Amino acid sequence: MKTIIYTCPYVPAEWIAAHGLRPSRIMPGAAGSTSPVGRTEGVCPYIRGFVNEVIRNTQASGVVVTTVCDQMRRAFDIIMRRCELPAFLMNVPSTWQSVAAHKLYLDELRRLGEFLVRLGGKSPSSRALAKVMLEYDTARTSVLTTRGYLTSSQYSELIAEFNRDGKSGITTTINEKKPFTGGIPLAIIGGPLLREDFGIFDVVENSGGCIVLDATETGERGMCAHFDLRRLRDEPLIELSNAYFGSIPDAFRRPNNQLYNWLKRELACREVRGIIFWRYIWCDIWHAELHRLKQWANLPVLDVDVSGDEQALTVRTIQRIHAFLEVLQ
Amino acid sequence: MNNAPTQITLEEWDERYEQLRRAGLREPGYGGPLGRHVGDGDRRLLKLRYDNSVASLRLWNFLLTEEDRLHNARAEGKRIVGTMKDLGTVPVMAYSLDNVVAFYPDGAWWIPCVMELSAGLLETADSLGIDESFCPVRAMLGAFVTGAHFPIPDQLVCSVGATCDDFSAIAQRLNGLGYPILWWEIPHRRHPEPNEAAVRLPGGFCAPKRQVEFVKSELERVRAALEGLAGQRLDDKKLSAGIQKANEVRSYLAELRQVTFTAKVCPLPALEMLIAEMLAIHFCSDREETISVLKELIDEVKTRVQAGRGVLGADAARIFWVNPVADLQVMNLLEDCGGRICGTEYLFSHALDTIPEDLPPAEALARMALADPMVGSSVDRAERICADIRRFGSEAVLISRIPGASHCALEGEVIAEVVQSRLKVPVLEIEVPPVTDSIRPTLGTRLEALIETVKERRKR
Repeated sequence: MKTIIYTCPYVPAEWIAAHGLRPSRIMPGAAGSTSPVGRTEGVCPYIRGFVNEVIRNTQASGVVVTTVCDQMRRAFDIIMRRCELPAFLMNVPSTWQSVAAHKLYLDELRRLGEFLVRLGGKSPSSRALAKVMLEYDTARTSVLTTRGYLTSSQYSELIAEFNRDGKSGITTTINEKKPFTGGIPLAIIGGPLLREDFGIFDVVENSGGCIVLDATETGERGMCAHFDLRRLRDEPLIELSNAYFGSIPDAFRRPNNQLYNWLKRELACREVRGIIFWRYIWCDIWHAELHRLKQWANLPVLDVDVSGDEQALTVRTIQRIHAFLEVLQ
Repeated sequence: MNNAPTQITLEEWDERYEQLRRAGLREPGYGGPLGRHVGDGDRRLLKLRYDNSVASLRLWNFLLTEEDRLHNARAEGKRIVGTMKDLGTVPVMAYSLDNVVAFYPDGAWWIPCVMELSAGLLETADSLGIDESFCPVRAMLGAFVTGAHFPIPDQLVCSVGATCDDFSAIAQRLNGLGYPILWWEIPHRRHPEPNEAAVRLPGGFCAPKRQVEFVKSELERVRAALEGLAGQRLDDKKLSAGIQKANEVRSYLAELRQVTFTAKVCPLPALEMLIAEMLAIHFCSDREETISVLKELIDEVKTRVQAGRGVLGADAARIFWVNPVADLQVMNLLEDCGGRICGTEYLFSHALDTIPEDLPPAEALARMALADPMVGSSVDRAERICADIRRFGSEAVLISRIPGASHCALEGEVIAEVVQSRLKVPVLEIEVPPVTDSIRPTLGTRLEALIETVKERRKR
């Protein structure tokens, strides 16, 4: 089966799968010094990692890039010039409160569908789409129900695995687990994580904390809403659009109060006592939220700026996390 | 009095001003010696060199009195719109209403340069979490908070979507500080799919018809907001009249650019040309006066060209400049190093193109908004640059990076590749912070290297 790679949470895996292709939301590694992006200064490390991953990928049949950030939009230009992989740039509107913005997203899904057909996919019937959506919804629910029964590291890796591989092999290791407790409850908030960044969960646990809310783009925050079964049956594509475009909160949206509403609810219900703010240098969208979040959250916030080097968790970062948790004891 | 075209200092201008005044100089109400603006804190003016024509004097005075005009407009009961990021679209709508003026708070990005960092705007932005990793447009945030540089607008309108992250993030920060913003979406301009209905845009790009329709619907939201603000209808007739006026400005600018950039001897310096081009985006808060200022500049330039006179040597290297500079003095530096400007893409070429007058006005504006070189791919932008290089006979391209700007990190490489492969002209990138004093020798060395390369190539 042909694989379509992407990294943006606003690309619905169900839509690709319903076309008979394999969606894989990849998690790039740090590009280090070997990135095909010539410059490093000013370029977000995640973008460098993504471009690197796409250009070196030999398994994929196509890549979907989105416009959620300016550098990702421009990374599409680099990808188009540096590799032969068929690429699609999907417009994901920044505004979200108008009917026109929702319609634009829906139109872009249809246009994505045409791209997938050109790659050998088959345009799905509503019924076929609904079936795939239901399967993904079930799998997604299974993933979400493991929260609290796994370590934070295992839980976030499970989400990453679900994103990468879809619905396979998720529920097999969970049921016999006992609830996992202990540690100072923290949230991690920010954009997507690179592969190397996953050590953060263990660092927090080894320091006496526990990440109970993974509000990064690669964590729970980047998962779409549960589908409404009646709407799924009646108009699956519209429901898909609602669950993704209408529900995933992010800093890039204008206005982005949806993100703060979501955080307010999740931080409270998980009794979070501190926030790790994870951002890449040169990521303006998230960087600009740091100060506002500090004022808004009424919780201690630790700013962790990441350069995207292969050694993501530097001694300095680890020591800062240790100190942060010590203060919260 | 010596009237030969040349560049002079501010001090020299003030002496010349006195001579001109004694000789019967007639000026608009905002006229006066340029030196008086230093008293407002505009210290960078002391370090610039200016064209010595009366037309340029008027241009500078017009630019440096905009804040007064905005305050006067408010005092007269006019409504003020702060239009952000779209660079040329919303002001055409706003100035179609007789009781609205519009300006770009984005323009505050030049305050740190003009006031040589003395205004404290960047420090204010720092204190709000917007540090030097962001584009100097962060000065806008400081200008809002201090309220010392322009009247706080009655309505803020900001385009988002295919825009730079810096501006979008800073505007959101502003919104978070309690300034309501009407956001409108400008989608990434894409190439039409096979068999998809397409539309030719001003400037030559092509876009899918449905994207034009989408932008038109967004601009209708803006129109409704402006009507609400003005308390009057902005019907198609008024909007068409506004487009005609905007086109008048654009046609004068087109003529000015064509005559100046193609003249054998440079008739008007880079700095004055930059400011003249800037007038296109919001008419410096007075549309009619913009037209008069441009007319006078064109007359001056034509007179100089006919006389074969100019401000630089005839062998100056013909440089195409990409992106505006945060430090105005760098335009002088280019000329000191032996270059002249012959072609520009200062992020707003769409504000220089003629807006179609044979279409419903909202659709015409939507087409113009989508023609923005920054909302499409860097390859498209590079193609447009190539077309203008051919038109103006530029011999090299200088890409001026804006520190921290999200687009500058990746676009330069693409633009350079396209330009070099199509036209085989040399390309150089530099980075220009708001005040370049400390890096002036380095910048000068790089500019000299480019100009030497151009001159060497002429010998082949």
